[in-house]
Amino acid sequence: MADLLVVDAIEKVYGEGEAATRALKGVSFTVAEGEFASIVGQSGSGKSTLLNLIGLLDTPTSGRVTLTGEDTTALGRKGRARLRNETLGFVFQFHYLLPEFSVWENLTMPAQIAGRSVSEAERERALETLALLGLEGLERKNANQLSGGQKQRVAIGRALMNRPRLILADEPTGNLDTTNTEAVYELFRRINAELGTTFLIVTHDRAVAQQTDRILEVRDGELVQDVRNDYVG
Amino acid sequence: MLSLKIAARFLKSSPGQSALIIAGIAVGIATQIFVGSLITSLQADLVDSTVGSSPHITLLPPDGETTLQGSLADEAVTAEEALSGAAGTGITAAVPVRTLSAIYASGEDSVPLRITSADADGLDAIYKLSEKLVSGTYRLDEGEALVGVGFADEYDVSAGDDVTLLLPDGRVAELTVSGIFDLGQAAANTSFAFVDEASADDEYTAIQIQLADVFASSEIAPRLADELDVEAVDWQEENAELLSGLAAQSGSSIMIQVFVLVAVALGIASTLAISAVQKTRQIGILKAIGMGDGAAGRIFLWQAALLGAGGTLGGIALGYGLIWGFSFAPVPFSIRPEPTFIAISATIGIAVALLSSVIPARATSRLDPIEVIQNG
Repeated sequence: MADLLVVDAIEKVYGEGEAATRALKGVSFTVAEGEFASIVGQSGSGKSTLLNLIGLLDTPTSGRVTLTGEDTTALGRKGRARLRNETLGFVFQFHYLLPEFSVWENLTMPAQIAGRSVSEAERERALETLALLGLEGLERKNANQLSGGQKQRVAIGRALMNRPRLILADEPTGNLDTTNTEAVYELFRRINAELGTTFLIVTHDRAVAQQTDRILEVRDGELVQDVRNDYVG
Repeated sequence: MLSLKIAARFLKSSPGQSALIIAGIAVGIATQIFVGSLITSLQADLVDSTVGSSPHITLLPPDGETTLQGSLADEAVTAEEALSGAAGTGITAAVPVRTLSAIYASGEDSVPLRITSADADGLDAIYKLSEKLVSGTYRLDEGEALVGVGFADEYDVSAGDDVTLLLPDGRVAELTVSGIFDLGQAAANTSFAFVDEASADDEYTAIQIQLADVFASSEIAPRLADELDVEAVDWQEENAELLSGLAAQSGSSIMIQVFVLVAVALGIASTLAISAVQKTRQIGILKAIGMGDGAAGRIFLWQAALLGAGGTLGGIALGYGLIWGFSFAPVPFSIRPEPTFIAISATIGIAVALLSSVIPARATSRLDPIEVIQNG
């Protein structure tokens, strides 16, 4: 399958001179379309930095990130914002819903940012997404009125709405209980199988990583392991 | 338009904060409208009582001559129209008059009277006598005179009474008082008298002129003097103290208004700055999911525009309310709201609001989504 993401020798250095910290030290790997992979590592290992660089939220000090064939290092803030909107979906540990807006408005926000009015097809897709997430009937509710698990599911729904090719999830279940955690990973799996969406999940929890097809381990800013996972049930 | 929708929603999500700042802007704009209209009306009233019923420019014979031709009045109007390039805007009335001094004697007292004679309609155009009558009728037939209320009170003269005047050439004139006027100035009320044109010849002592804009006299008077080769006396030269008082008053009024606007601007800027901090997380996530820097910055411009528009509308309503309330105050003049001034205040109000949003809007457009994501 074609490479969706190419990470080529990226370095990230914070600070200058003696105070400089090398958060990433020349990490390289590729992710093919449709993969369901995880990045594991201890707290402070550089895994979130890596995800932020892949997610075009930050720029590497050196090296390059190529997404859907486009070299992102050449892009300005505007170009990166466009590519984020069109290609990527984000799920964070915190849901980051907009509390001033309803569930429906939060879901359709990426489409609105892209400057599209919510078309009939998009409406259908939003309803499908709600059904997929088990959130039917909640569309008119304010985001603040939902439970923690529901909020995280809406955030996942929002990440899915533009039918992104790559979903980046940073400790997506860090704030959820075991039942909700399992439900979220089941959902990710279903979306991956049904829509072919590529997933890259950052976690410090090995048990979570074991549920993915490929595990990339980051330690002290270096990629120390890249294995296909045989234990997936 | 997404920026506008988000701006409106942000404002709606903090109704108390939004209402307070709208009230703040409204009070500022209302103060500006009220103080501005009060000073403008007060000054207009002062100017009106000073020159509303007297000539704005008086054309006098040039040095060495004692009389002017009556036709000069029409020439002045034509000349001014030609010089200013606009018809019917400068001079509203130009009336040839004869002035002479007479003595009124009553018992042992005698008092000088300044008699102005001219066509009755012309006198009314300059002095608004028909509006200023307190008794009798506005009529100037042959042998009739209008006298001031001060003179009438002093010498116990009523409409219909006869008065005898001693003229400079030694003749005695017997006149019937047809009406008594109040020009609002003690000097004019005790020493002015008006009679109809007594002579059929075309020799006049002065041409009295009224203007549409009283303050244009300083431009028009020298123009007419040059063009018609006469002496032109401008009311502003004779009332320099009043005018410097008015200028000082205008200056202090502008200062008050500027400070009010600065207070409004600081209020909006601080509210928006707080709002920008409160909404950092939302802006960060909107940017993470693809909102551009410009669109994110515009959220605060729209917030400012909405606050400014709401506050300004409220301010106009409140300003009109204050002006209406003032109409019940026991003062001898009323405030007239000036639509142009109010439109300017409204424009300034909204412009100040937009200007106040520049700093938070710029901060927002520069915000990096990573700052929010990393700091949770």
